[in-house]
Amino acid sequence: MDSQEVWNLENGEVKGLSNKDGPHLIRNAHTMSSSSLRKRSDPMLLPKVRCRVLRQFLNNLQEVILGTKLCLLFPAIPLAVLAKCYQFGRPWIFALSLMGLTPLAERVSFLTEQIAYFTGPTVGGLLNATCGNATELIIALFALHQKKILVLKYSLLGSILSNLLLVLGTSLLFGGLANLKKEQLYDRKQADVNSLLLLLGLLCHVLPLMFKYAAWTDTFTAISTLQFSRASSILMLTTYVAYLIFQLKTHRQLFESQEEDEDGDDEKALIGFWSAFSWLVGMTVIIALLSEYVVGTIEAASDSWGVSVSFISIILLPIVGNAAEHAGSIIFAFKNKLDISLGVALGSATQISMFVVPLCVIVAWIMGVAMDLDFSLLETGSLAFAIIITAFALQDGTSHYMKGVVLSLCYIVIAACFFVHKNPSIHQSTTDSLRVVQSSTGVLTA
Amino acid sequence: MASQEPWQMENGNLKGSSKEIKHGRTAHNMSSSSLRKKSDLSLVNKVPCGLVRQLLANLQEVILGTKLSVLFPAIPLAIVAQYYGFAGPWIFGLSLLGLTPLAERLGFLTEQIAYYTGPTVGGLLNATCGNATELIIAIFALSKNKILVVKYSLLGSVLSNLLLVLGTSLFCGGIYNLRKEQKYDRKQSDINSLLLLLGLLCHMLPLMFRYAANPSGAALIADSTLSLSRAGSIVMLVAYLAYLVFQLWTHRQLFEAPEDGDDDTVSSDEEPVIGFWSSVVWLILMTAIIALLSEFVVGTIEVASESWGISVTFISIILLPIVGNAAEHAGAVIFAFKNKLDISLGVALGSATQIAMFVVPLCVLVAWIMGIRMDLDFSLLETSSLALAIIVTAFTLQDGSSHYMKGLVLLLCYVVIGACFFVSKTTPDQGNGITPGIKLPTEGVVSA
Repeated sequence: MDSQEVWNLENGEVKGLSNKDGPHLIRNAHTMSSSSLRKRSDPMLLPKVRCRVLRQFLNNLQEVILGTKLCLLFPAIPLAVLAKCYQFGRPWIFALSLMGLTPLAERVSFLTEQIAYFTGPTVGGLLNATCGNATELIIALFALHQKKILVLKYSLLGSILSNLLLVLGTSLLFGGLANLKKEQLYDRKQADVNSLLLLLGLLCHVLPLMFKYAAWTDTFTAISTLQFSRASSILMLTTYVAYLIFQLKTHRQLFESQEEDEDGDDEKALIGFWSAFSWLVGMTVIIALLSEYVVGTIEAASDSWGVSVSFISIILLPIVGNAAEHAGSIIFAFKNKLDISLGVALGSATQISMFVVPLCVIVAWIMGVAMDLDFSLLETGSLAFAIIITAFALQDGTSHYMKGVVLSLCYIVIAACFFVHKNPSIHQSTTDSLRVVQSSTGVLTA
Repeated sequence: MASQEPWQMENGNLKGSSKEIKHGRTAHNMSSSSLRKKSDLSLVNKVPCGLVRQLLANLQEVILGTKLSVLFPAIPLAIVAQYYGFAGPWIFGLSLLGLTPLAERLGFLTEQIAYYTGPTVGGLLNATCGNATELIIAIFALSKNKILVVKYSLLGSVLSNLLLVLGTSLFCGGIYNLRKEQKYDRKQSDINSLLLLLGLLCHMLPLMFRYAANPSGAALIADSTLSLSRAGSIVMLVAYLAYLVFQLWTHRQLFEAPEDGDDDTVSSDEEPVIGFWSSVVWLILMTAIIALLSEFVVGTIEVASESWGISVTFISIILLPIVGNAAEHAGAVIFAFKNKLDISLGVALGSATQIAMFVVPLCVLVAWIMGIRMDLDFSLLETSSLALAIIVTAFTLQDGSSHYMKGLVLLLCYVVIGACFFVSKTTPDQGNGITPGIKLPTEGVVSA
């Protein structure tokens, strides 16, 4: 029985299966990172259940629901649904939905990995590439649907910032502190390609922003910005496709993690193809439900907690969405396997910047919503800085904890900036322009 | 007598215990030692009384122990000028001249104290007192509420270290060592560049606050900028602390200057030349004199600016830092001549990092305590110059080798920035779009 073999492998008996035949694992950064959050299922209770179908079903259930250390947060899902149906305070719905999304994001990546066993490495890599950030994509699509363009823009931007600065920074920091005496090396080719792609994405964001500052009329600026954004979104998607070909076909040796025998227990799929598929569909539906709650109650939560919507979108939402990847990245940095940590963090940032953002622009185009790539000055400036400082930090192929300290502190400063920045479009306030000029002068001569 | 031993070592007799006295052979120590003069104590030894002899030896060591001691007479002249009511520009000029040797002596005294306290505390002392002149000038300007002078003098100090000191060192070193390969360890410059980029972020965010389309009212923007600046300052100080831990404890092998056999000028400094308590006394005395001269400088800066016909901005950004950094500058160039680029880089970059990540946030926090509204918004022109300087320097230093063209480019960058501030006569509260709209006042320039 499958679970017996898994149990045997965990106890140290290596099976004769080689890597060439049978469905084998795409051993890339995402799969290895998320495997660190798996719990080993204890199959001892199950053989006692008599009926075979029931036994398989329960085994399946245990594998999927209880197979992660994050399963403690699963009860938040029914609680969130209850809160919505019984009209609890909206901040409660928001918070419970956020907590429920965290384990769901991790389970989706687990299921993607299981399906990848059956479909082969290429399709598996593609699946990972698209579904790796499913939570962010679904939240973005719901925000688009409810016409909350700013929430959409800022949550995606915050996700990139969180991956580049927070996840990477904490990984390098803890990895550096845990490995003080050892030299920490990684392959800089992977970091280089990702930095290049992020810089291209940055260019596509900076140009529409500068349209605003060139001396044009307002309507002309708006039309140009929209047209340019749509054109460059197509370009970004094309570049992403090229990157997938690079990563999965022509240069895959750059991206393969080293083969380690401690991960030998993951060689076989734990659940069947169709059950994985149906679980995937089921979980995606639940994610969609919770995302709808989140997007719907974000303003109420913001008013109730006294923080701006931009702070929640840029800082809080991505921390939740990335929690599983974050934990996995830190664990691999502790083990001095920086290639995997970097693969997770940078790969995720590239995916959002070059795939999710342009996809949203195209979907908005189809839906007739005017979404462009102009993320306004403060946010684009933070993004530019984050990309530049990360590219600079990673360019020499070694690491120590100071790099992690600097990146983490950059994230804290950017978070503080958005904490004190009250977004004007959402919190409407009237001003007297004459008074503004006068008091600015007064402030500057202080 | 202790002073005999350095003389013997200079004449080639190496002492056996030289390597055991590990006194934090950082870049600063080695660089400033290049300006020392060897004390000739033959005259002093003729004085019969032992106590007077020691006092005179002490005096000679401290006052005359540097090649910059010719500038010492400027100090009493400046005090005389102040009390006899001479013209403001004279007081300003003389005070500036007097500050130059004092800054160097302060570095010497810190190094002497470091012999007694061990390498870690010595390194810490160096890290805090290395830029004492800039710190004291800044605090005096704060107390007189001249926020712009504070901001611009500190900014100018960072620019001067990154472009002028580094540029002249690389240039002169490159010309002098045309046939040799010039290498340095890039790890040190990497970590300094990263810290400077973090500091730049903390400056750019408050600046972008002003330009982000935010009609919630100017008072609110000013308050937000202030709280963000104060939070950013705390972050910068935390980063500097982590850097000190990194530099002095966990990764100190990256920062140790290389031990060389042909360094006979440096091995003469293995023993301290004056006692611990006399060093402390001299340190306090010199700090008091620096404080006095700094007060003169800050008090007469506007008068000097009007009299000489150049803006206060130019004086703060260009002139003051050149004076304050003169000693380090000379030391860095001398070590570049000897093809010891690690030390030149250590001096220049370390000083820039110290000012950007320690002195600036410290001033913001001191201003907070004093109730003065100083923020990290250094306005557009200055912050862009800083950003470009950091990026150009980081890019230049990233490959671990050097030649004179790198130095020339950095130097010319500094000249261009200097020219920019020379011609920029607008005072900052007129020049940077206060209008709450989005359009910057660029149309006038473009259509000129």
